[in-house]
Amino acid sequence: MRLVYALVFLLGVTAVLADHLTSPSSGRPMSPEDFAGACAPCGAPCPSTQKK
Amino acid sequence: MSLAATEARAAAPLPRLDWPFLIASVLAAAVLIALVLIDGQPAAAALIGLGFALGVVFLKAEFSFTASWRRLIVRGQADGFLGGLLLIAIAAAAIVPVARLVPGFGGAIAPLGPSLLIGAFVFGIGMQLANGCGSGTLYTVGGGSGRMIVTLAFFIAGSVIGSLHLPAFLRLGGVDPILAADYLGPWGGLAVTWASLAVAAFAAIAIARRRGASFVPSRRIVIGAVLIGLLSIGVFAAGHHPWSVTFGFTVWGAKLAALAGFDFSAAEFWQWPGPKRALGDSILSDTSSLTDLGMIFGAMATAAATAPFARNPWPPLKSLAAAAIGGLLMGWGARLGFGCNIGAFVGGIASGSLNGWVWFAAALPGCLIGIRLRPLFGLSRE
Repeated sequence: MRLVYALVFLLGVTAVLADHLTSPSSGRPMSPEDFAGACAPCGAPCPSTQKK
Repeated sequence: MSLAATEARAAAPLPRLDWPFLIASVLAAAVLIALVLIDGQPAAAALIGLGFALGVVFLKAEFSFTASWRRLIVRGQADGFLGGLLLIAIAAAAIVPVARLVPGFGGAIAPLGPSLLIGAFVFGIGMQLANGCGSGTLYTVGGGSGRMIVTLAFFIAGSVIGSLHLPAFLRLGGVDPILAADYLGPWGGLAVTWASLAVAAFAAIAIARRRGASFVPSRRIVIGAVLIGLLSIGVFAAGHHPWSVTFGFTVWGAKLAALAGFDFSAAEFWQWPGPKRALGDSILSDTSSLTDLGMIFGAMATAAATAPFARNPWPPLKSLAAAAIGGLLMGWGARLGFGCNIGAFVGGIASGSLNGWVWFAAALPGCLIGIRLRPLFGLSRE
């Protein structure tokens, strides 16, 4: 298990670093709730706006 | 070398400190903090640090929503459940008033409808099969559990599938979020939130008394609840929204799927502004990913600092199957239910939002079914 764990850890950290170095990053960390119209932590719209 | 020396070496206990994993975890956290600081994001660095501290506290206090809810259902034991309510009460003291009074801050809200009910119910089944919820998965993965790596992988996959299904479930209908502070103001909203927690606590104590089970939380549970509650306030201060876990998993999965060639441009969920930005931007710009990663590294450092790391054998295949199915159900359920024990239950109630209690009411019967299914996978009901 130790070897598998070490491999998963290395792959995961490498993936995070690669993603960060190849993607834009906003001025401050954001949550989907920061955006107008978001009605849930995932950014889903409110039922009242969906009906319109 | 003499035979005696060889035998002595073989019998020598493994070192308590597991240097390679301890160094790797601290180094990984330090590198991520350095990267976000280079980008001029001190709040992101704070979120990684707070996640790290959460990982340490969760592991040291062995704080578990899944096991405490199971003990409440199976034995009527309420000590761990009460610890969870204490945590929420502490977090609410800051979240309810600040979300209402300070521009730029907001609570963990969610619409009420079939999607929430179905998602929370399915999540409840999954958390008992997997033996860990969102936060539980993070700190046990960090703590060196190979079984929970399987859970996390399927949790991620399930949450991406859930993201594709969520818009259809939202079209089934529902009502906008209901926040106590909208009707009663910040302090009235906080009073109602604390009152609702008190009612739940008295109900749990009544159940424990009737079944002759314990309900007084141990010192470990109380200290864990207080520290996690305070750290939740720290996450709220740094991220401007309550702590959430599972959206990060959805972003990680979608990024991996996009790398494999999956096109999300026709997926409605990924066209909403928040998810669309998260998919395009760095993982280290997403608040939940930052605390998630910090939590894994924190738990890993703690585990490696106290015992030989990841030395346990792999569990039986049946147990791994439960881990996979549980992870898949939790991922799917978390997307439809707008979060897990942290984002929906803790965050929702601590924001004075009704979705937190509705999530709990739907997840509890799911847990009951999950507990009944556990023996099929060789897991104990307790």
